[in-house]
Amino acid sequence: MSLFVSEGNPHGIKVLAAANIWAENVKTQWLQQHEKIVPFMSQPRLPALQLDNGNYLFLSNAICRYFFMSAGNDLCDLINQWLEWESVELQPALSAALYAHVVQGKKKEDTIVAIHELLSYLDHCLAEKSTPYLVNDKLSVADIVVWGSVYPLIVDHSSLPDKFSSLKYWFKNISQLEQCQKVVTLLLKNQGSSIFKTHLQKQPAPTIPSGKPVCS
Amino acid sequence: TLPQCNEAFLKTLESVSHTILSLQQKNSKIPVLQNKKGHRMVGLATIASYLVKEAKIEEILGSTVEEKAIVQQWLEYRTSHIDRVSCWEDIRNILKDLNHYLEDKVYFVENMITLADILIYYGLHPVIAGLSFQEKETFVNVSRWFCHIQNYPSIQQHFPVVVFIKNRIYSTSH
Repeated sequence: MSLFVSEGNPHGIKVLAAANIWAENVKTQWLQQHEKIVPFMSQPRLPALQLDNGNYLFLSNAICRYFFMSAGNDLCDLINQWLEWESVELQPALSAALYAHVVQGKKKEDTIVAIHELLSYLDHCLAEKSTPYLVNDKLSVADIVVWGSVYPLIVDHSSLPDKFSSLKYWFKNISQLEQCQKVVTLLLKNQGSSIFKTHLQKQPAPTIPSGKPVCS
Repeated sequence: TLPQCNEAFLKTLESVSHTILSLQQKNSKIPVLQNKKGHRMVGLATIASYLVKEAKIEEILGSTVEEKAIVQQWLEYRTSHIDRVSCWEDIRNILKDLNHYLEDKVYFVENMITLADILIYYGLHPVIAGLSFQEKETFVNVSRWFCHIQNYPSIQQHFPVVVFIKNRIYSTSH
């Protein structure tokens, strides 16, 4: 089983964190952004996981799910729902916000305003719970996928507006996990969001589902 | 024998497929379902996986951890890639990749029908129905797979049959 990642790729955070937590024996190989590893995909797709049976996982959330399940955990409906929300709603808006901040030089606060509604939903769901996790009372792949998705833009919990107190607490809590800290040190190299610039510059400018750019 | 061949399985599959399809058609954007306990569930892949478990045909979610992850990956591909196409170029790229992927395959995951085949079939139906015969030939593996899935009456539901090549048995059998 080999995990292929590239430097400065924001999606690397969640897969490496999930690997550290649930699949420590996975072999990580660092590739260049343009290297093609998934044979049936015409465009380079990283991160990617080659399974022992030769199959490939090429979507980050599927890789995280796989690590979580291979440690003996089950996926409940609520975990599925968080992962789907992340891929359908959060990720497109977040990619656009990160691009606007890192490549187009928009202020971080302004790009956070653009994803305000999504963060507010997250904060609201966390506020209703008595534990600082998205599903039940323990850490799951839902926390890692959502945290890994917002981390490249937020980086520090103090960047989040004060009114999102539950979100702030959750974000800080996950960020402090030893396995997550290791990944952040490895990938961000103390450079914050700007570490993603080279990678994002080579990507087409993301659009949110409505087709409008995130910051006008 | 595979449980997927028996009549009871096909009947259950038909009723699950029917619910999935009607949810997809009723909610133009993101489907919502109130489950038995009164909880609200959001998202096509999430709801479809829930319905499959409720109907006790979990085998179509994959049996090993690898299969389960691959099935879920294709469900995510449906909602995050296929459903987000905005131009012909996007469609072409998706069909090109799927055509390559399906080169040596009968189904999306292993040698059995899974929820991945069903959701991708529903998602691609309008696209495939709009292709010319020549384009269908270009994406020959996708066409072969699509044709195979639409031959499951329990999945096809009331979708119009897409004709692939004139004068072939399957194009006139419905």
